[in-house]
Amino acid sequence: MILSDLLGSDVVDAHGRRLGALVDVRLEVSGRPRQLLADTVVVGILVSPRSRFSTWGFERRDEHAPAIVARPQRWLHRGMFLVDWRDVAVVDEGRVTLRDGAEHLDPSLREAPRSH
Amino acid sequence: MKRLFSVALGILTAIGGFVDIGDLVTNAVVGSRFGLGLAWVVLVGVVGICVFAQMSGRVAAVSGRATFEIIRERLGPRAGLANLGASFLINLLTLTAEIGGVALALQLATSVDPLLWMPVAAFGVWIAVWRARFRLLENVTGLLGLTLIVFAVALFMLAPDWNALAGQALQRGTPQDEPVATYWFFAVALFGAAMTPYEVFFFSSGAIEERWTEKDLATSRLNVLVGFPLGGLLSIAIAGCAAVVLLPASIDVTSLSQVVLPVADAGGKVALAFAIVGILAATFGAALETTLSSGYTLAQYFGWSWGKFRRPAKAARFHLSMIICLFVAVAILATGVDPIVVTEFSVVFSAVALPLTYLPILIIANDREYMGDRVNGRGMNAIGTVYLVIILIAAIAAIPLLIITGGGA
Repeated sequence: MILSDLLGSDVVDAHGRRLGALVDVRLEVSGRPRQLLADTVVVGILVSPRSRFSTWGFERRDEHAPAIVARPQRWLHRGMFLVDWRDVAVVDEGRVTLRDGAEHLDPSLREAPRSH
Repeated sequence: MKRLFSVALGILTAIGGFVDIGDLVTNAVVGSRFGLGLAWVVLVGVVGICVFAQMSGRVAAVSGRATFEIIRERLGPRAGLANLGASFLINLLTLTAEIGGVALALQLATSVDPLLWMPVAAFGVWIAVWRARFRLLENVTGLLGLTLIVFAVALFMLAPDWNALAGQALQRGTPQDEPVATYWFFAVALFGAAMTPYEVFFFSSGAIEERWTEKDLATSRLNVLVGFPLGGLLSIAIAGCAAVVLLPASIDVTSLSQVVLPVADAGGKVALAFAIVGILAATFGAALETTLSSGYTLAQYFGWSWGKFRRPAKAARFHLSMIICLFVAVAILATGVDPIVVTEFSVVFSAVALPLTYLPILIIANDREYMGDRVNGRGMNAIGTVYLVIILIAAIAAIPLLIITGGGA
C-alpha cells in the first residue's frame, strides 16, 4: 500500500459513522538517516471532518501568516484531529475504520504522540 | 573592495538579465499602441518580481531547498505534478520564444534567414549549459545585455515631447480608439513579461548552485532591489522609443526589426549595432536561464541529482532533459511559427502560471519549520498578500482576455 491509496479515504468510527476524510498521515523518523531519507513509521492519521483538500502544512504549527491563506485553511479544516495509528482498526480501499474509543488528538506537532 | 565589486557586478547582471524577448517585444508592441499608457504595469511587475525573487532567494538560502522541491513536498505528488506540468510547459514555450529571439537577433546582424540560425542558437545554448561555469554564464550575458541601455539613450536622442510622454504615462483609463479589453489584455501580457516564472526557478536554483547562506542574502537583496527596477526602466525606455517613433506612424510591431527601428532612427548604425548585441545577449541569457529552469523543475520534482556544480555525468538526467527541451524548442520553431507570436503567447501564459509557484513560496516563507526566525515579517506579508491577489486576478483574466481580444488584434 502506498500513501496515495490512503489519502482521501473516508474515516468512520467503530459504529460506521463517518467522521471525515483522511487528509494526511503523520510520520516519525524511526531509524538512522540513510542516503536520501531516514526510515519512518506511520504514527497517526489526520482526519478533517469537512474537507478532503490538502492542508498545505498549516495543521502542524500555530501558523497564522499569511492571513489570506491561513484563515481559509483554518476554516476549511476546522475540527481536524489526529488519530493514533494504534487506534486504526481496519484499512480498506477508500475507507478507514477506527477502534472503539479512538481518541481525537490535537493535530499540532507539539501535542503529537511521541512514544509508540 | 572585492565585495563592492561583487555587489556592482550583481546589480549590473540583474539589470541586463531582467530584459528578455518577452519584455522586448511586449514593451515595443504596447508602446506602439498605447504610448506610455501602460508604463504603470511595468512598475507593478517590477515590484512584484522583486518581492517574489527576494522571498524565493531567502527560502532557498535558509531552507536549502529550491522551488520545485518545496512544491512537491508541500502540495504532494499529484497536485505537485499538475503544477509541474503547467509550469514546465510554459517554461518550454518561453524557451522556444527565447531561442527564436536569438535567431531573430542574428538575422538582424547578418540578414541570414532565422530558420537557419535556430539550430545554431540551440547548439550555442547547449554547449554553454554543458561546459560553461554558472557565474560566467550569468555575468557575460548580463553585462553584454547592458548595451540595451542604447534604448534609453535613443529615447533622449529622439528629443521627444517629454510632457506628452508623461501625460501618456499618467493618463487614467484606456485611450479612446482602443477597446477596454485590449487595454487590459496588454496590461496582463506586460505583467507576465515582467514577472516570468522562470526568473524565479532560476534565481532560487541559482542560490543553491552558488551555495548561498544567510550571509549572502543582503547582497542578493541589493542586487534584486536595485537591478530589477533599473531593468524595468530599460523596459519603459523600449516602450518609450516605440511611443515616440512607431505610435505616430501607426506602425504595428510584428517583427524584431520594428522593435529596433527607433534606435536606428535616433543613433544610426552604431546605435543599431549596440541594440543588436544587447538583444542577442538578453535573449541568449534568457535562453540559458529557461533551459536550465526546465532541467531544474523536472529534476527537483523527480528527485534527480541536478546542478551545474555537478559534472554532467553526475547529473545525467538533468542534462538529458535540457537537451530534449532544446530539441523540442527547435522543432516547434522549425514548423515556421513566428517567434514573435510565440513570445506574445508565452508572456500571457506566464501570467496564467504565476500563482502556481508564487503561492507555495509565499506559504513556505511563513513556515517556521523551514525558515526558523527568517520567516516573512508583517510588511513582507502585507505586500506578499497584495501581490497574491494581483497575480490571481491576472491569471484568471488572462485567457478570457486572450479569447475576447483575439490575442490583442
